[in-house]
Amino acid sequence: MRSLFWLAGIVLLALSFTALADGRVVDKVYHPYVGALERDVEYRSLYQRQSQHPDNNTLAQKLGYGFAVSERAALAFYLLAERVMPDDYTVASYEVELRYMLTEQGQYNWDWGLLFEYEHQQQTNSNEITTGLLMEKEFTHTSLTINTLLVYEWGGNIKNELETEFRLQYRYRYLPALQPSIEIYSGENYKGAGPGFMGVHKFSPTRQLKWEAAMVFALDNDTIDRTLRFAISYQF
Amino acid sequence: MRVSRQYLWLLLLGSFALSARQEFSLKLKDHLFSPARLTVPAGEKIKIRLINQDDTPEEFESFSLNREKVVLGQSQAVIYLGPLQPGEYPFFGDFHPDSAKGVLIALADAQWRAHQQQQTENNETETPHVD
Repeated sequence: MRSLFWLAGIVLLALSFTALADGRVVDKVYHPYVGALERDVEYRSLYQRQSQHPDNNTLAQKLGYGFAVSERAALAFYLLAERVMPDDYTVASYEVELRYMLTEQGQYNWDWGLLFEYEHQQQTNSNEITTGLLMEKEFTHTSLTINTLLVYEWGGNIKNELETEFRLQYRYRYLPALQPSIEIYSGENYKGAGPGFMGVHKFSPTRQLKWEAAMVFALDNDTIDRTLRFAISYQF
Repeated sequence: MRVSRQYLWLLLLGSFALSARQEFSLKLKDHLFSPARLTVPAGEKIKIRLINQDDTPEEFESFSLNREKVVLGQSQAVIYLGPLQPGEYPFFGDFHPDSAKGVLIALADAQWRAHQQQQTENNETETPHVD
């Protein structure tokens, strides 16, 4: 009951934001934790669909390599390829990402982390810096994860602007391989929510595969109808 | 929007609430946990000091406790838990899962008091201390 109260309050808070973000709002919901020896190769994919919508048939793919640089910090490097029209698929940008774990898991009522990202768009010669708070709280068998992000874009032909993004995931830790979730996203011209799941499979003591996916549906008329996101990570 | 901001501030302040925790010790030597059955009180926040006496790192892992924590060789780490519901929570060392296995047993209040009484009578040294 208490968890429902928290969840309802935070969802109302998220949807009340006058959010501003015109980039890819749907993306991974980051947990605020860093493993001291973590190292992984990750692939992410995003596909959007709505006939007559300007972003119809958009495909974005991300390939990255990440590793811990200390017990609390992890770095990751990504290449991002995008497509809007069938014949314009290309490597669009590269990105460097730093996650920092502010508190130990369970130390306080909420667990806290920080995210810093720098992305350079090759085609438009523009840049984007993202920073924000990563938060998580455990409710017995469920976990609530929230990302509140500030995004600043500049350079190229784009207008310099400051944007905000909000991501939320409420996850039921049913089995290691199957953890169903509800995800909510908010940004400029985007308000969406939908079901998702994540899971993990261990191959050996030091090698495992993690996956997650979600289908996000529009909550208003500005938002593209359907967004599918998928991520898979090989940790070693 | 004013209500939302007030709610956000309450959320931020409340999220750093602190409380005293009982501390329990869990040792790791020759890739074995000691004690392999660790008894703790249910319904309150606790912390476990994981002392790795081996030269190699180990990762404390438990899906039921929702914890993964690496402790380097010849070093210590703290795992914050609770409040737990009464029950048993298996854990293992991710790098040596065949040998490093254990279970954390969370006892309800009456059982925990009885357990402590028995510990006192047996003059054992598992009694925790408060920060």
